Amino acid sequence: MELFFQQLINGLSLGALYALIAVGYTVVYGIVQLINFAHGEIFMIGAFGAFATWTIMGRPTGSPVATSLLFILPVMLIGGVVASVAVAVAMERFAYRPLRNAPRLAPLISAIGVSVFLQELVRLFFGRIPGMPDAKSDLAFPSISGISGASVQMGGVLIRASAIFTIGALVLCTVFLWIFVDRTKTGRAMVATSQDADTARLMGINVDRVIVSAFAVGAVLAAVAGVAQGLTVGNIGFRMGFLAGLKAFTAAVLGGIGNIYGAVVGGLVLGVAEALASNYLGTTAWKDVWAFILLILVLVFRPQGLLGAKVVDRA
Amino acid sequence: MRVVIPDEFKIRFRYPARALGLLGAVLMIVSIFLPWAYGHDALDDMTFWGAPSPLQLFFVVLPVLLGLLLAIPLVGKQRLGALARMVAWNTTAKTAALASLVVVVIATASIAIELGGLVNVDPGAWVALLGGLVAAGSTPFLPDSPEPTLDRLKSPAWVQILGIVAVMAAALFLAAQALSYNDAGSFITFAALLVGLVLVLRQFGVFDWLRVAGRSNNRVLVLSAFVVAFLFPFTQDGKDANMSIAAQVLIFASAALGLNIVVGLAGLLDLGYIAFLGAGAFTAAVLSESAYSHVNWHPPFIVTVIIAGTVSSVLGLIIGAPTLRVSGDYLAIVTLGFGEIFRLTMINLDGNDGPYVTNGSNGISNIPDLNFFGFDFGKAHTILGVDIGRFANYYWLMLLVIGLVILVFTNLNHSRIGRGWVAIREDELAAEAMGVNTFALKLLAFAGGAFLAGVAGAVKAHHDVSVTPDQYVFLESAFLLAAVVLGGMGTVMGVLIGATILKLLPEKLRFFSDYRLLLFGLLLVVMMRFRPEGMIAEERRQLEFHAEDEELAEEVQEELALYHDHLHPERGSFEL
Amino acid sequence: MSTEAVPAVADTAVLLDARNVTMQFGGLRAVNDVSLQVRTGEIVGLIGPNGAGKTTFFNCLTGLYQPTTGSVFFDAAPLPAKPRLAVRAGMARTFQNIRLFHNMTAIENVMVGMYCRTKTNAIDAVFRLPRHRREEVESTRRAKELLDFVGLSGSGDTLSRNLPYGDQRRLEIARALATDPKLLLLDEPTAGMNPQETRQAEDLIFRIRDLGLAVLVIEHDMRFIFNLCDRVACLVRGEVLVEGPGAVVQNDPRVIEAYIGSPATQDGSGDA
Repeated sequence: MELFFQQLINGLSLGALYALIAVGYTVVYGIVQLINFAHGEIFMIGAFGAFATWTIMGRPTGSPVATSLLFILPVMLIGGVVASVAVAVAMERFAYRPLRNAPRLAPLISAIGVSVFLQELVRLFFGRIPGMPDAKSDLAFPSISGISGASVQMGGVLIRASAIFTIGALVLCTVFLWIFVDRTKTGRAMVATSQDADTARLMGINVDRVIVSAFAVGAVLAAVAGVAQGLTVGNIGFRMGFLAGLKAFTAAVLGGIGNIYGAVVGGLVLGVAEALASNYLGTTAWKDVWAFILLILVLVFRPQGLLGAKVVDRA
Repeated sequence: MRVVIPDEFKIRFRYPARALGLLGAVLMIVSIFLPWAYGHDALDDMTFWGAPSPLQLFFVVLPVLLGLLLAIPLVGKQRLGALARMVAWNTTAKTAALASLVVVVIATASIAIELGGLVNVDPGAWVALLGGLVAAGSTPFLPDSPEPTLDRLKSPAWVQILGIVAVMAAALFLAAQALSYNDAGSFITFAALLVGLVLVLRQFGVFDWLRVAGRSNNRVLVLSAFVVAFLFPFTQDGKDANMSIAAQVLIFASAALGLNIVVGLAGLLDLGYIAFLGAGAFTAAVLSESAYSHVNWHPPFIVTVIIAGTVSSVLGLIIGAPTLRVSGDYLAIVTLGFGEIFRLTMINLDGNDGPYVTNGSNGISNIPDLNFFGFDFGKAHTILGVDIGRFANYYWLMLLVIGLVILVFTNLNHSRIGRGWVAIREDELAAEAMGVNTFALKLLAFAGGAFLAGVAGAVKAHHDVSVTPDQYVFLESAFLLAAVVLGGMGTVMGVLIGATILKLLPEKLRFFSDYRLLLFGLLLVVMMRFRPEGMIAEERRQLEFHAEDEELAEEVQEELALYHDHLHPERGSFEL
Repeated sequence: MSTEAVPAVADTAVLLDARNVTMQFGGLRAVNDVSLQVRTGEIVGLIGPNGAGKTTFFNCLTGLYQPTTGSVFFDAAPLPAKPRLAVRAGMARTFQNIRLFHNMTAIENVMVGMYCRTKTNAIDAVFRLPRHRREEVESTRRAKELLDFVGLSGSGDTLSRNLPYGDQRRLEIARALATDPKLLLLDEPTAGMNPQETRQAEDLIFRIRDLGLAVLVIEHDMRFIFNLCDRVACLVRGEVLVEGPGAVVQNDPRVIEAYIGSPATQDGSGDA
């Protein structure tokens, strides 16, 4: 039973990570019906942005817990968010916007191009930024006192501080997202556009700006996820976005693509399922195979998601 | 970006522009008799007075063309007759001038970089640069000519055939020449020269004429293309380096053409396509006599090929099965998932995490060379006094394979099945409502494309000597897709060119190979933005990407009406 | 005005037999307990105000939707569940909003219609075996014949997107005829046509009937439908209100009421 709870906690932490990324897929999809295949790379960029910020700050290590949590971590988060948002907005502007009326094949191929381009950009050029280490192999993510390596024991269950950070971040982000969507003008414009872009345009909503803000919102959460991933795993690399992105995409579909809260639920379900499965289904060698099988099963048999959101005509 | 020069300027300055253009051409022609470089090591040694290097001689073709294009119209419209109206003299001259300038700039930059500074650039290059600048600066002031209509030129069959053969022979010669350059500067300079030449000829209308000639003499075209491709190893004089690249290009192109059936014809995006090549390669590797394979049955290669193709097409059926329920972007992600499952499974079949089949991530190495009835592919042979090395043997084998691929591609395309695919692309629901078995057709695209890739993979296993899972990652699938997109979805010629460019450039430009993925990622984005139909456009595809272009619709209609299948239902349609 | 002689079809075989078809979407009952028969050689009309469930009923007949309850028999056998199989069984349709393959030429469109009656497989096609050649020649000949039949003789090589609107409608009919149907279902074949084109369409439908086909037509244009049809069914709010010869339906007060509102409820809301 303890093992079960342990895996549940691990799964929730993993799931919170997926959920943070999944929101980006779902928000963009809801508005432009585009699978932003390169969203995994935005997550990766977020992690590298935070890393770069930390390096610029002079690689502060071993500072007191309070300084770490109240100053270093927030600044790193801001750095990651800025990097992610900048890249996401540029991506929308140059790779997707010109293709808005093109056949569906075009933006998807463009997205693959962006994805490969961003990975290679980081691999080849991150090290060329003065002061940054070479990123051709994985980099050790900075350890933040109070989170990296720290943990809480509850009964027989070990809860790592990074898990608390990830889950906490998800809760906070969900609340902010709710406020944003429900209470702000931009948020309501987003909802309107997702329901009917043409009518929204007629109602005077600047659809271009709404689309950009959808990309930006997704990027903010992806950057937070990038930092969470760095803190949890301890290292980051230019390839980290590929698998995480695909799993998060599964989560988004699972939650009913286009449905923001569905993405959160989908992420958590996927994370817990993965943790439990890897515990009960044996070897880790096949772990990713199971993940892909799940991805395929979800897409084939449950494209409308667990919550049975609006049926999307994928034709 | 584009600088528009008002028409009144073009009228007012047309005489000085022509004169200056001619001056520029003359300057460039004279320049090749002067030394371009101070040291011997830059390009192909351009240090001599009065004795141009081969590269300089090739270069001079462009200014000579420029001069002719500017001078011939001076003869007068009457004397030129119909030709005066069929050729876009001025516009072609503008292209030629710009192309000359670009080549000179690249050559000069190469000299400067390879010898370490602009001081090493000798007067000849400066003269050429001046000539190029004068020509490229003045020709835009010439009035524009109407689109060339050389394709309307009625020419007797023997002229057409002669034209096709001449172009093929030139292609062979130029390809061999291009591959003979091993330093980056020479290769880029020569490649730029070729691109410039192609653009000039296209603007002149030569390719339109060739297309007409090729369509009415399709057999000659196909035959001469294959003869030229067959003769290619003889130009290499036993050197294996280029033959290895050529064989790899053919393997890559075969897989890309298979993918083109799925993407270009059936309109389904497959992001896990490399798995089919991998399935063929692993099948052949496991059935080979490599010590790392524990399978003790070693059938003859022809049997292996069929098994490899079959294994791949079964995989294709499995991957295609979800098309019953999903389409569009979701299908693309499903295929990506299948591709990754394939790779991970190949890694795990190592005897530890699964049964021993593939030797895990180390893969199967020491795959022996093929041996057909005593003809050992691993050994060099001498034919007509020319050494034919190991890779040339595989090159010839791949030539057969790619012939099969092209046969399957074009004949399926020009049939009831091809029409069904177009209908699915246009409106799947309507196709189904008209009695088209859309699911079966989509499966056929997956299975057929997979079979061809599997066959190519079987040859690849022996060519590469070893097969490892890491050769079959997602990026390779994206790379294949890039070849299809760059060349032109739905075309054979386009994909052949796209595959050649994508495979050849990183091999020839070593400094560039690290950036190849970066650039092809960018390439995908740029192509989708500016020319989604690819370098060589398939008419109908082009129309799909430019739905609002009514003018294009008229052109395409004309094209389809001229060459359409139903006019020649009895015709075989093996086409390039 | 419907002086058209009703042909003696009463004793020909029942081709289409829809029995108590109901189609439910969530809480909405779009088609409620509709029964309809069509006999060989008959032209049957289906009329009704917008949103009466005509197209939904059509989709139930062509295998696009599976009726929630009720059954459809075609040619004395249960109708297959897939549109493709319904076409094979001999049922062809056109669409309310034209759904041609826009980037294919007219003749290619028709040849796609022949897909289900030809058998060339991948091997035949790749190796250009005799069956491929034979079928290509035959399909081409037949396609030209059909284009002539609908009056598009000269337009075989025109991309269907470049055809004028009326010709697109006729091409859709040619494409449907190419599937060699026993029953042709036309969804608003004269929508957007001028009177002259409508008369041509009428003539075309009579000629199709004369080929021995049954025709089921959905239409808004009353004059057109009562001229054309042997029998008319009026669908209102998913239910068959009246069914019978044109003259009977035309003068039925309930039909008039459904279209222009009853005198009792003429307080502004009933006008359509």
